[in-house]
Amino acid sequence: MILALSILRSILDFAPPLVLAALGGVISERAGVVNIGLEGMMRVGAFFACWASFAWGSAWIGAAAGIAAGTAFAAAHALVSIHGRADQVVSGIALNLIALGLVTFLLEAVFGTTGTAPVETLPELPSLLGRSPYTYVALVAPFAVHGWLHLTVPGLRLRAVGEHPHAAATLGVSVARVRWAAVLAGGALAGLGGSSLSIAILHRFDNKMPAGLGFMALAAVVFGKWTPLGAFFASLFFALANAGVDAVRSAMPPSGPLADLHLDGILLAAPYLLTLALLAGFVGRAVPPAADGVPYDPEAKH
Amino acid sequence: MSAGARTLALSAAAMLSALAVGFVAILLTGKDAAEGYAGVLDGSFGSFEAVGETSVKAAVLTCTGLSVGIAFVVGLFNIGAEGQFIAGALAAAVVGRALHLPTALHVPLSLLAAAAGGALPALAAAWLKVRRGVHEVISTIMLNWVVIYTVQDWLVVGPLRAPSSSAEVSASGTAQIDVTAELPRFFEDSRLDVGLPIAVVLAVFAWFLLSRTVLGYEMRAVGANIEAARAAKIPVARRLYLAMALSGAFAGLGGAFLILGTEHHYPGVFRTGYGFDGIAVALVGSSHPLGVLVAAACFGALRAGATRLQLVGIHPSFAELIQGLAVLFVATRAPFAAVLDRAARALERARSARRGAAPPARKGDA
Repeated sequence: MILALSILRSILDFAPPLVLAALGGVISERAGVVNIGLEGMMRVGAFFACWASFAWGSAWIGAAAGIAAGTAFAAAHALVSIHGRADQVVSGIALNLIALGLVTFLLEAVFGTTGTAPVETLPELPSLLGRSPYTYVALVAPFAVHGWLHLTVPGLRLRAVGEHPHAAATLGVSVARVRWAAVLAGGALAGLGGSSLSIAILHRFDNKMPAGLGFMALAAVVFGKWTPLGAFFASLFFALANAGVDAVRSAMPPSGPLADLHLDGILLAAPYLLTLALLAGFVGRAVPPAADGVPYDPEAKH
Repeated sequence: MSAGARTLALSAAAMLSALAVGFVAILLTGKDAAEGYAGVLDGSFGSFEAVGETSVKAAVLTCTGLSVGIAFVVGLFNIGAEGQFIAGALAAAVVGRALHLPTALHVPLSLLAAAAGGALPALAAAWLKVRRGVHEVISTIMLNWVVIYTVQDWLVVGPLRAPSSSAEVSASGTAQIDVTAELPRFFEDSRLDVGLPIAVVLAVFAWFLLSRTVLGYEMRAVGANIEAARAAKIPVARRLYLAMALSGAFAGLGGAFLILGTEHHYPGVFRTGYGFDGIAVALVGSSHPLGVLVAAACFGALRAGATRLQLVGIHPSFAELIQGLAVLFVATRAPFAAVLDRAARALERARSARRGAAPPARKGDA
């Protein structure tokens, strides 16, 4: 019972970065723009949130800076892949590489280190019932996005643009504008998710962040079949797996036959294996939006 | 301007722009950018030793660049080069340790094992693509993490970990490979080893395969238009498997170069990024084997020289930033192409103005 409670607690703590980034991925991809730059967007979000909350002494400003950084990166992605009709995967990879180098560069320029930012204490967000506001945002946002996607006109337009942009354009929807908005919103959410990592969960920024969480969020998007609620539950499931690995790690005796098996490597790999199994159709089937990853060319035949 | 020259000019423009942006970024932080860049140049080509360092890195990057490039040829985006690289590295470390043979057999066998080890996850992605319709971008990303975690957090720290003697607690990673499995070096004071010539041979092999054989022609046809290739009775699935197997094998060989040439065991901490850099190499080299070779030399020099940036207070991962920017600029060809075409037109106009009312130039005149 106590173990279950402590695992629940660590899910509530660790889920926000995954849930928010995955939600950002869903919004972007449902509009037809593949976003494998989530990792990079989370990274800049985490760094700028730490920097801004340290510089201005307010975690709220930190969160806003995280959102702004993620959005700025997303704007580059949108510019290249919507405006320039470049390959969206290439653009996402470029952003991940840039985030990797840029944040290390800035960390050294601002804090004079390439390890953990030497910030004694970061200002904290007020906590509600012992949880940070991020937890509540992560619990509510997926349902809000689900409702927005399925019950409102802009939501319908976004889905139409991701499934059949030419049909949407025929009905007077600006494909480019909808995709821009979706990519920016996706970046904002990924940046927010990244910021939760540095200012609300670990209370520091270290240069390894987000250590693959962005790719795990991408896995959650696929595992959740490109739906907000699916991605939400997939993220919770992965967060549970992470919490389980952490619990096993800390409960494991430091030596002995059990520790010698080093099973945490296999546990860490499990979410990705599960996603592969799902995609292979062993656990149902996941079909992406029809126009996902396809640059929109108004003059193309269709 | 010929298509080849145009591609080359665009890649060079992207690379130079990335370097320029990096230069300005260093200036903005108040550090000495000129000294930093001079250091990079010195650290990559300034001495005999530096050239050796550059060539070791260029050899590895050629492998991962060819890996991504050959998958591009059939229209597949192999983001899994990193995982295939790690799988190959581990296979080389295991065979280099487990077998005891003369160098003439041990090195080739270790390399072969690495090629097979790298091909394995790549073939898994190909199978998922062909038989299950799974997009290779997603499957290779997922396979990367599966390989990274099972190798680095299980095999290398668990079953394959070197038995540590009681005196040496910090020993991590797998046991040292036999000396017979180490890549032979050419000189006493340079880390240049046979990896570079092998990498050049691989690039030439890839070029020959793709542009001089029926097999290569069919692979390109699959990449150009998969439906047309199918209609032309090209065995599409088999070409996809072949391309991915080669892709994984190239990446695995890159891993082997690093293990057999430099590390001499699979270290406990092995965060390389060479596989991801291969994507940058392939894109900047426009997936042409010889373009890959040139791009790998550039990025290899950058990687080797980047350590010198520490002298002006910049972390070597600055190289990643430059590579990322170069990829972004290659992806956004449009503005560069516009400038290039305008320049070419202006040149043409200036030429014809100089000629006065001369008749229009014959083809091949300029």
